[in-house]
Amino acid sequence: MSVMQTSQATARELLRPEVLARIRNLDLVARSVVEGFLIGLHRSPTFGFSQEFAEYRAYTEGDDPRFIDWNVYARTERTYIKRYLGDTNSHLMILTDASASMGFGGPPVSKLRYAQFLAASLAYLANRQHDAVGCMIFDEQVRDYRAPSTRAGRLQSVLHCIDHAEARIGTKFDKPFDKFREQVTRRGLVAVISDFYCDTEKLLAGVRPLAWQGQDVVLFHLLDDQELAPDVDSNVLFEDLETGEAVEVAPAFMQEIYPARMRSHIDSLATAAAGIGADHVLVKTSDSLDQALRNYLLFRQRRK
Amino acid sequence: MSFLAPWFLLAALAVGLPFWLHRLQTQSAERRPFSSTMLLETTARQVHVRKKLKYLFLLAFRITLLVLLALIFAQPIWTRALPGPLQQARATHLVLIDTSASMQRNDAFDRAIVAAREAIESIPNGDLLQVVSADDRVHVASDLAADKANHRAAVAALEASALRLDFGSAMTALDRLAADLPPPVQLHFVSDFQDSGMPVRFADLAGSSIAELIPHRIATDEQFNWQVEYAQARAADVDVGVLGTGTPAGATSVRLRLNDQPVAQDEVAATGRHVLTFSDLPLEPGDNRLTVTVAADDDLAIDNEWYSVIENAPPAPVPLITTNRAGLAATYLEAALRADPGANYRVASMVIGDADFRTLSRYRWALVDDLGAIGGDLEATLVAFLENGGSLLAFAGRGRSTSGQLPVSTHAVRPTAVGGGDDEYLTIGQIDTGHPLLAETEGWQQVNVTRNLAIDIQDGDEVLIRLEDDTPFLLERRLGQGRLLLLTAGLDNQWNDLPLRPVFVGFIVAAARYLSGAERSSKAYTTGDALPLSLLGGVSGQVVDPDGNSILSLADTTREQQVRLEQPGIYEVYTPQGDYLVAVNTDPRESSAAVITAEALDRWVASMAGQERRGPTAQVQNEPATLELWHALLFILVLLVIGESILGNLFLRPRTEL
Repeated sequence: MSVMQTSQATARELLRPEVLARIRNLDLVARSVVEGFLIGLHRSPTFGFSQEFAEYRAYTEGDDPRFIDWNVYARTERTYIKRYLGDTNSHLMILTDASASMGFGGPPVSKLRYAQFLAASLAYLANRQHDAVGCMIFDEQVRDYRAPSTRAGRLQSVLHCIDHAEARIGTKFDKPFDKFREQVTRRGLVAVISDFYCDTEKLLAGVRPLAWQGQDVVLFHLLDDQELAPDVDSNVLFEDLETGEAVEVAPAFMQEIYPARMRSHIDSLATAAAGIGADHVLVKTSDSLDQALRNYLLFRQRRK
Repeated sequence: MSFLAPWFLLAALAVGLPFWLHRLQTQSAERRPFSSTMLLETTARQVHVRKKLKYLFLLAFRITLLVLLALIFAQPIWTRALPGPLQQARATHLVLIDTSASMQRNDAFDRAIVAAREAIESIPNGDLLQVVSADDRVHVASDLAADKANHRAAVAALEASALRLDFGSAMTALDRLAADLPPPVQLHFVSDFQDSGMPVRFADLAGSSIAELIPHRIATDEQFNWQVEYAQARAADVDVGVLGTGTPAGATSVRLRLNDQPVAQDEVAATGRHVLTFSDLPLEPGDNRLTVTVAADDDLAIDNEWYSVIENAPPAPVPLITTNRAGLAATYLEAALRADPGANYRVASMVIGDADFRTLSRYRWALVDDLGAIGGDLEATLVAFLENGGSLLAFAGRGRSTSGQLPVSTHAVRPTAVGGGDDEYLTIGQIDTGHPLLAETEGWQQVNVTRNLAIDIQDGDEVLIRLEDDTPFLLERRLGQGRLLLLTAGLDNQWNDLPLRPVFVGFIVAAARYLSGAERSSKAYTTGDALPLSLLGGVSGQVVDPDGNSILSLADTTREQQVRLEQPGIYEVYTPQGDYLVAVNTDPRESSAAVITAEALDRWVASMAGQERRGPTAQVQNEPATLELWHALLFILVLLVIGESILGNLFLRPRTEL
């Protein structure tokens, strides 16, 4: 086995949720995920991501002075910006659902914790590509908000915002999304991470205006394995984490009818998302994070 | 339907167990939090209801099983009157069982129970029957009926007591009971027929309502018994009387326990009456518990112990109202009270004009050496003292010896009848020996009276002693709730020589007991006696029996005046005025081995025979047919057990089929 293969195997280990669950620092999680992901990533322009030098561009007002190549300036006394392949200088807004239903799942990680890993990794990846990153934590209302920015320390602020999200009360998409539209004026990428336990029409009512505003929306539909295939061998009284409603169901229902309903719900969401030009990505909490990041890069590549 | 052992029905309370178990089963649906019930639908209800019905069926099965088990142990019987005409009851039978203390001798009571059962069986079917027991009272043990099963159960429930049976009083009570029964009444008397139970008058045994006495004698021959007859305390010494009858050779030990601690032991030889003296017992202040035990494995155990309470209190003060603290009166009275330790009083002189007499109310009784010297406020104080329940022993001294009216008593004083000179004197003429004060005093005839106050007798006066010229010498007068004893002579040894005579000591000690109320209260009782709480200083109180159980309920503690003492031992009495101990012993007459002679018993039987009382005859149902049901119930129980096992196996399988 070569050194490269060993390194890739170790990096893949780091992308597994049960491994990440042991790391308390979200910043470290994001760094581990992205670095591990990048190690395992084949260099390919198809994915639109690379650290390969592309060109110099004259510095113009508004550019981040950090990217000025001071070596060139020393030789030519002119300011140039160094650009790489994959740099898009775009905006990424990560909208994370922190309703009570997101607290479900695990071990090793609940849906919310997985969503935090994913959001942090996306933020870290985007920041590494010099994209402006912002985030919004919402349930029935906007609970926390960080506007997109490339300023130094913004990533830490975003990670802090994501890390402090807690699962509570119910979910509504219309009100938080309206609020979000009022805040964002510039076009960019919008990643929504949620379990989407809501009526499809109501979700579309919140997402459709974003699409019309010109935002490129990707819906990360996050579900636990127990939601997709519940392990039930006797009568169970299920208690809704958001409403408190209790429903007693038989094992036969959970093994036959419920999976079909869930499949139908996922399909309807995917269809609805496609209808408004948004992407729908189904993510399971047992999946390693590289799959989600890969989907993100594909999505980003398509929208470039 | 009735039960032979109905107490086993209480076991049916165990049905709570399956209820509890099935309650747990109904809560079997596991509660589990879930992210959203949006896609769920209640689907288990029908399945659950069906399951619940199964569980209810199994629950009913198990409850029936337990109830049936309790029923089997309770031994149900089905009684059914046989068809046919009503029988004419030929006679009414009273089965009387002696439950007195003497029946505890060896296996006498067990044999009495057997004899009573045989007597019941010997009674012709259809005759009315009632079971009664007798100790110092007659108790009805079963209702009048022809059904013998209930009477057998009533006989089995009887127990021997520690009380004494007097045949006279028992027969009187039975005669009253028999008067209400359909004649003729036959009395089956099961007893050891102790001679000590016979009444003084043989006529008391005869009754007008009982037609026939059928004695069932329980033989108690060749008896071996030790008995403690008494324990008499004298200060720190105790005399113990022990009697052995039919005892084998060899010494037996007598042990003393004082306040539950062994303090002394002695031995007595076999047979006969012995008096043992135990000296210098380590008495504690107040009441001391004394238990005397004869360590013998004899026929009758209940009389092997004797309980006694020894008081160890300092002499109580009794006020002497006098004009001279160092006078002869004080000397005579002090000497007399000290002469008998049983009196336990000492004289506390209160000089007229010097002492504060408002403190009189603290005392139960007081002495006055010269009633004539009382006057003014002191007279009013003494009258109030008497009216409020105090007692006074007053001597009429020289104060108003010639004329006028005596203070307090208000007797008119006439000129002195005696007194011509020192050589003239009168002696005692009449003494009321029936009065408790004078019942045990002797020697009054030796008293010479040279002078006394001649007073006019008033209504309510009770003259206890008269001189030979018929003038009153000692009288008692009730004033309010108190009593006044008035001696119409002084104590100065000039008008009479009473203080110098031996009778004076006995008189003063008896007066102390009589006036203080100590004579009416006692700390030694016999089983069956009533303990009057009021005489021990309290209107009410609580009494704790020798086993440590409170006899009176909380409500009774405020109103119960008398408590019946049925158990030998030391009782604790708590009253608002103080706490006391009371010793209760079995009547020593119950230990007597002597029985009624065959001739006397025949005479008793003969005296009852032929006493026909006419009255309505009774008609009773035929002797009912009795069917025991437990066999059938046991068969059903076995079927139920099998059924429960099958159902339980079916219903309680792991619920994987859902």
